[in-house]
This record gives sequence, structure tokens and C-alpha cells, in this order.
Amino acid sequence: MSTRPPTLREKRRYILIHIEPAGALIEQKDLYYAVSDAITSLWGDVMAAVIMAAVVASQDEYVIVRCRRGTERELSIALSTIISCRDTRIALRIVAASGTIETLRDRIRRVKVPGLECPLPLECSFEKKTYLIHQCNGQKVDVIEKGFKNTNRLFLTREDLEEL
Amino acid sequence: MKITDACVYPYPLGDSSVRRMALEAKELGFDSIVAADTPSGEFSGIDVLSGILIQQTAVRDIPSRIKRERNHQAVVSVQAGNNGFNRAVISLKGIHIIRGIQSADKTAFDHVAAKMAADNHIAIDLDMSPLISGRGITRQRAMQRYRDILVLERRFEFPLTISSHAHSILEMRAVREIVGICSFIDMEITDIEKAFSGVDTVTSSPAYAVKVI
Repeated sequence: MSTRPPTLREKRRYILIHIEPAGALIEQKDLYYAVSDAITSLWGDVMAAVIMAAVVASQDEYVIVRCRRGTERELSIALSTIISCRDTRIALRIVAASGTIETLRDRIRRVKVPGLECPLPLECSFEKKTYLIHQCNGQKVDVIEKGFKNTNRLFLTREDLEEL
Repeated sequence: MKITDACVYPYPLGDSSVRRMALEAKELGFDSIVAADTPSGEFSGIDVLSGILIQQTAVRDIPSRIKRERNHQAVVSVQAGNNGFNRAVISLKGIHIIRGIQSADKTAFDHVAAKMAADNHIAIDLDMSPLISGRGITRQRAMQRYRDILVLERRFEFPLTISSHAHSILEMRAVREIVGICSFIDMEITDIEKAFSGVDTVTSSPAYAVKVI
């Protein structure tokens, strides 16, 4: 099948999304199912067919989601209703929208802060409990309680740890 | 106009410290947050207001609880109950917000309660969490209730507040996203702006038409 000439192709828009928390291991396919489920649940099958959402690329904690031009608003509202992906709690933060994937790839390169060395020790204490530092980015520090009983992540700042 | 998230639950009620929530709120476009059971302060340029939520308490016990908290300059809110409870609570002094109206009885907030809320300067909270994390009938019911409240709000003009009820930074949403979600319940942008500054409205003293000297 020959490809359609550009004038006959659907106009698309690409949305750059940052996945929180940092370091969450999300498969591109699982995220597609989560996005599709959120759109269908919120807008129904008719609108889902109009939006034609697809996860087209992922790079570390960034993903690029495609939609039909003019449906960016509907897609962004649906994205804000995603709270988990395969039992992993996540939040999707929209960074930018563009007509080409390449522009968004440039944006990722610009937005990304070169790996900051975490000067904090690997272990820290908060509220009289010992935690292991899981992620550290600027002021933000994500920790997990030491041990095997409670593996929930806590979201803190450097100041919270320095207080002790 | 101050954009305020009218209720978040920092650690130990949630999994994020109040500083981290303030940092996140700043990135999401808020100017201030009301944090439950947390002392007031300013973190990362965000005003953190202390919030007290009174729930499962008899009406007769509420005034003593308010009196206890009066010195802390906190935003006092009460969990909505049945119609009689809500009318009684609205007539009490020192209460700023009625919460959880979407999960209360269908007749819990009627036109009489709406008129009283407008007169007594008490806000009704629109909790975004059932619209964000709810699916199916839960979300539909919340939408129905909020649409009904907005009909009364347009008639009686009582204050509204918008809250995420986030227990984690992952449950917080950007101002732009909340505006999008509020469009489902037929809220105009001016209504949303007024609701975002609802906490400011109820905590500041009302401007009377006539000043008694």
C-alpha cells in the first residue's frame, strides 16, 4: 500500500508528558492501556475514536502521546484522571504539545537536568524512622522505609531530612 | 486573586511532607494550600494554611471544638451530614467550609441551606477527587451533585472552594487540569476563579454594605 500524500493525511498533535514519581518503571504498552481506559471512561467510545490516542515514544521518565489535532484539550483532561498504571501509582504531568515528535525530543533534552549528584547519605532518618533514599532531584527526595515490612514511598524535601 | 487548593493531607495523614506538597503546588500553579492538621507557614513561596476538619461530631460538640481552635487562625471545615445537621452547622460561627456534600444525602443541601450559607458567608467545597479518581457511577453521582450545587450557587451566590483532597503529591493536579475537569460540571472560567479564591473569601471578614460605628 502506498503512503498517502501529506495533504490527505490526518493532522496530528504530540503531547510531551512527564511521569511521576521519578524512577517508576512503566512499560509503554501498559501506559497505552491506561490512557485508552481513561479516555473511554471519561469521554466514551465515540470520542475515544475521534481522539485516536497512542503512546508513540518514551524516553526515561518522559513519554510522547499522539492525538488528532483539535482534541488536545480532551486528551489532557483524560490524562489528568490517570492515577495508576498496572498497580503502580503514577501522575502524568503535561509538559508541552507540538506538531512534531522531534520538537518534543529537543524539549526533553532542554528540560532534562544533567544528573545531579545526591550529596545526601543513602540512609536517612525522618520522624524517628530509618529510610533509604530512592530518588533525589534538587530539593525533592523520595525515600522508602528500611526493612521489608513497609515499602511505601514517602515524598520529602531536603529540609525535612536536615531538620533532624 | 489567590489560587488555593482548599484541602490536602500531608504526612502523617498522607505520604508527602507539607514542604514537598508546597513545592509541588508551586510547580502546579497554586499560590496557597490548606493542609489538614498542620501548622500554618510559608514553604517554597507558598502559603500553607492550617486546616481543621471536624467529622463525625454531634452539632452540640462543634462550638467547643471551634473555640479550642480559634487561636490557631485555622480554616475550619465540617463534614456534611443530613439536611438538619447542615443547617445547624451553617448557623454556627467560626466555620468556614462544609465538605463532602457529594457523599451526603441527596437532600442534604437544599435552597434553605444555600440561602443560609450565603448569609453566613460559609463556603461549600467541591472535592475534585471523585472526578479524578472515580470511575463510572461514583464520578457520575459527584457530577450530578456538583451541577445541582452550582444551580443553587448561581441563585444565592454563596462562596465555593475547590480542593484536590490529595493524600500524596501524585494526587495533586495542575490548575489548568482542574479548570478542564470543572468544565464538565458547567463551570465558567469566572466561577472557577471565584472558587479558587474561595478560601480567601471566607477567611477574610465580609465587606458590609453599611458600617455601624
